[in-house]
Amino acid sequence: MSLILLAVTSMGALAAFFAVMLSVAHSRLKVEEDPRIEKLFEELPGANCGACGFASCRALAEAIVKGEAATTSCVVGGSEVAAKISQLMGVEAEAVERKLAFVRCGAGVSERAKKAIYRGVETCRAANLVMGADAACSYGCLGFGDCQRVCPFDAIKMVDFLPRIDLSRCTGCGRCVEVCPRGIIVLENLEDINYRVKCSSLDKGKKARQVCEKSCIACGRCVKSCPYEACWMEDNLAHIDPVNCQVCGVCYTVCPTGAIVEVKS
Amino acid sequence: MTRLILIFLGAVLVNNFVLRYFLGICPFLGVTGKVESAVAMGFATTFVMTITAAVVWPINTFIIKGLNLPFLEYVSDILVIASLVQLIEMFVKKTNPALYRALGIYLPLITTNCSILFLALFIPLRKYTFIDSIVFGFGAGVGFTFVMLLMSAIREELDFAEVPKSLQGAPMTLIIAGLLALVFMGFTGLIGTA
Repeated sequence: MSLILLAVTSMGALAAFFAVMLSVAHSRLKVEEDPRIEKLFEELPGANCGACGFASCRALAEAIVKGEAATTSCVVGGSEVAAKISQLMGVEAEAVERKLAFVRCGAGVSERAKKAIYRGVETCRAANLVMGADAACSYGCLGFGDCQRVCPFDAIKMVDFLPRIDLSRCTGCGRCVEVCPRGIIVLENLEDINYRVKCSSLDKGKKARQVCEKSCIACGRCVKSCPYEACWMEDNLAHIDPVNCQVCGVCYTVCPTGAIVEVKS
Repeated sequence: MTRLILIFLGAVLVNNFVLRYFLGICPFLGVTGKVESAVAMGFATTFVMTITAAVVWPINTFIIKGLNLPFLEYVSDILVIASLVQLIEMFVKKTNPALYRALGIYLPLITTNCSILFLALFIPLRKYTFIDSIVFGFGAGVGFTFVMLLMSAIREELDFAEVPKSLQGAPMTLIIAGLLALVFMGFTGLIGTA
């Protein structure tokens, strides 16, 4: 009996000693952290995608509190998060331009001409290094889905060897833009209905037509037909100016190859 | 003095905790990706080991042996280690936030690092004096840091090496750990039984 008592008291005393030591240490070594960091961190999406240029949402929250980053830095959260953060920081909220990924190539696997048989590493990056592997078009999608693998939000799905972007899931973080070796993915302001050129080929009409059924052949019909002078031709590729475009859809209807598409978000 | 040096060298090289007793393998494989964090982990462990040795010795001598409560040895050791790790965690968080972030989960995991419990259990077995056990704890920590440094430096170099596909990642790491252990076997018998 006395043994148990001895054991309990000795261990109890030891534990009490450490408890006191730790509580003293806790109050002495307490790290003073700006309480706003925690609040901002709670508002941020917490995806740690890195679109803002910081390593994590926590790092962004710290940077905002320090004043090193704008309150609108989070692209993913959009205006909603920006408004909350601005409110917490006591500054005027600015609208965040929500940009979404757009793939400037519209050719599925059946519409692309092949120039070789490729049996190499099945990533776009590797394929691009060997003269674009089997793709005859030297500008278009390679179809190995590097963008699908890199997307942190599951917004990209390879359909018919072409990335299809789920605009409701896309947050505009830009990871796919970085990873695409051919640079065919761009971030665009895609609100409501838009008309976009879904081709990146700078080849002349004949060559472009030979390698792909859906390419822009630089015929210039869109430029001529556009009533608002929003279309122009540069390096054998049609461009649409999103500022001047009044979304009338004429270019979309006159395009003979279907290189101009309607994007609905 | 010679005895202390022998204890120290014995703990660092001959009876290296990681490569001789295979203790503390978790951080040995987990934190050795980068030299910087590996060495930081080594320092943190060295600190905990030295203090543990200093605290465990009086507890063992005066409470466990003094009051004849041998069954409480493990309990008291775990109590000491857990409290010390808490303390060092607070200390690192306060003094070096960057290091705190780099060590991440491995810092609280020192609590469950078996090499430290082994150290605490080993000291009464070897009948060390107070000074002896501090030197032994420090030596064990230095040995741990040394091995962490070796491993992380090799692994950093390995990033540039062409490793066969089937051996990439964990298999290659384990092979290197095995080779290092073989190397350390060469120290066997260097310093008597110390």
